[in-house]
Amino acid sequence: MDVGRLPISPVLKERLIKAGYSTLSSSFSPSLLARDLNISEAESNKILALASQSNVLPSSSGNNAVSRALSCSQSAWDMLHEEVVFGHITTSCAELDKILGGGISCKQLTEIGGVPGIGKTQLGIQLAVNVQIPVDYGGVEGKAIYIDTEGSFMVERTLQIVKGCIEDLSERSSMTERDFQVFQDKWQPKNFLRNIFYFRVCSYTEQVDLINNLETFISAHKDVKMVIVDSIAFHFRQDFEDLSSRTRILNGMTSNLIKIAKDSKLAVVLMNQVTAKQKEGSFQLTLALGNSWSQGCTNRVILYWNGNERYAYIDKSANLRSASAPYSVTSKGIRSSISNCKRIKMM
Amino acid sequence: MLLPENLAEHPPTTQKCTFGCPIIDAHFGGGIPVNSVTEVVAESGCGKTQLSLQLLLSAQLPISRGGLSASSIYIHSEFPFPLRRFHSLSLSFIAARSHLFPPGHDPCDYVLVQAAHSADQLFDILSKVEALVEKSGNQFPIRLIVIDSIAALFRLDYENNSSDLKLRTYLFFKISGRLKMLAKRFQMAVMITNQVVDLVDPDGVNGLKVGNVRFLYSSGRRVCAALGMTWANCVNTRLFMSRTEEVSSGGVDESGEEIVCCKTRRRLHVVFAPHLPDSSCEFMITRDGVFGVVGEQ
Repeated sequence: MDVGRLPISPVLKERLIKAGYSTLSSSFSPSLLARDLNISEAESNKILALASQSNVLPSSSGNNAVSRALSCSQSAWDMLHEEVVFGHITTSCAELDKILGGGISCKQLTEIGGVPGIGKTQLGIQLAVNVQIPVDYGGVEGKAIYIDTEGSFMVERTLQIVKGCIEDLSERSSMTERDFQVFQDKWQPKNFLRNIFYFRVCSYTEQVDLINNLETFISAHKDVKMVIVDSIAFHFRQDFEDLSSRTRILNGMTSNLIKIAKDSKLAVVLMNQVTAKQKEGSFQLTLALGNSWSQGCTNRVILYWNGNERYAYIDKSANLRSASAPYSVTSKGIRSSISNCKRIKMM
Repeated sequence: MLLPENLAEHPPTTQKCTFGCPIIDAHFGGGIPVNSVTEVVAESGCGKTQLSLQLLLSAQLPISRGGLSASSIYIHSEFPFPLRRFHSLSLSFIAARSHLFPPGHDPCDYVLVQAAHSADQLFDILSKVEALVEKSGNQFPIRLIVIDSIAALFRLDYENNSSDLKLRTYLFFKISGRLKMLAKRFQMAVMITNQVVDLVDPDGVNGLKVGNVRFLYSSGRRVCAALGMTWANCVNTRLFMSRTEEVSSGGVDESGEEIVCCKTRRRLHVVFAPHLPDSSCEFMITRDGVFGVVGEQ
């Protein structure tokens, strides 16, 4: 039995290792062991008994020890199973869902960047609404946390999107009139609003504080299935003379969010701004806050203009292939691009 | 820790400060929203300042009339405050609406005017707003800030090198962060005017396109908002005013000479806004202020 795996105190383990023991078996002499470790013979007997006990079922006990040590880990099979169970949150645009592998995936961080006016906030509001779609309609029926750092969240726009969502849901299912009445009573726009926990943060200290305390909040509201931060960048682009401290704070925030996403099995969406960066004399568009911070994001989606059409592009992902798809912002919210319905694109 | 706000208890539409014209209001969701920063981009001579002056007046209207029942702060950086024009506007404003105000109400008493000549000075002024608001009391509290214009503060003092650009970025976000904080805390509407620059490279970077409007055209030139992408990230709503000169034949006069009519057409467009669809509205400037034009195509 490997010394490291013995269920004994660390002090004894250290003594064993110092005395040159790496494995123990019941065939060892208790008195010799007692002398080497400077312990009583009774104690050494106990240790040897433990070693032999563990030896009876070496494989299973070994497994136990491993799984005990890595109690928070999962097998790939479990993860795959979870992905199927927890599913995705639709964006309400079929093409966008397709390139995202079904929508925004739970348990992951997704960064969405784009120029002002491309529809980041619109997509954020849409997701905060869509996360509430009932299970019967293929949704996850959860609540959303919306962290607004820029002040672009508008209740009137949210109500429009909610109404658009309800309309689409009722159209999709062939309901009888009575069912529809029940549906409407249950899914009132007000209820949708109530299920969005809206935080307006006015400084980066508030933002950091909120994200540090998010875990406590979520443990009290277990039905939260999505956290949206719109945008992660705004407060971090002022007053940071010391860039290394900024990076440190941002990384702390990201790792916090990763932990929340994993432990609470929810989707985290971070909106980011773009900035023009001077590179070899010309200006190029890049995401704000630099490279180091976004390492933690599993997926990165860039929203951009292609002529007069809005497009989304998978810039980085562990499991999705890079692809782009058009979408549009309508009065009802994010929807399929109209021109895409008219003509089938050859990709 | 911060507590979430219950959205169901929020009013279903954000309070707005009317533009002072029902036609323009109809196109832009009822006015400029409180708790948000609205920018109006235009070349000089389009009517940015005219619209700002009108807002100073309409903010004083009772809430039932689309106003904020509030005083305002006007920070100017480019030109001296157009006092004569404002005074004449205020006379016609009060003449038409005297029944809405207590007798002896002079709109000029409810506008605080301050000049800012540098970005730092602007920031200093904004730091004092909190104290001013608390002093202004419940009768006509300060609920509108107009900055005319932001571009003038940044166009001179900063070089086009990386360290100055970085400093500029910090200042942009600092000013915007402060404005948004004030807007949230005191339910204020904020309006900022901005200039335009000519777009020299017609193909440009495709990504440089900001908002719904494919190209911003004014006086036949392709333009874009001054202060670049970074500043665009600092505002919630961007509106654009365009101007086109239309020359049409006005027939022939007695001596056989052709009469040429020159008409300036002005339009206000939504470039981007969290609450507005792509929309635009023609307007004209008269002696009494800025008004939308009906019956357009």
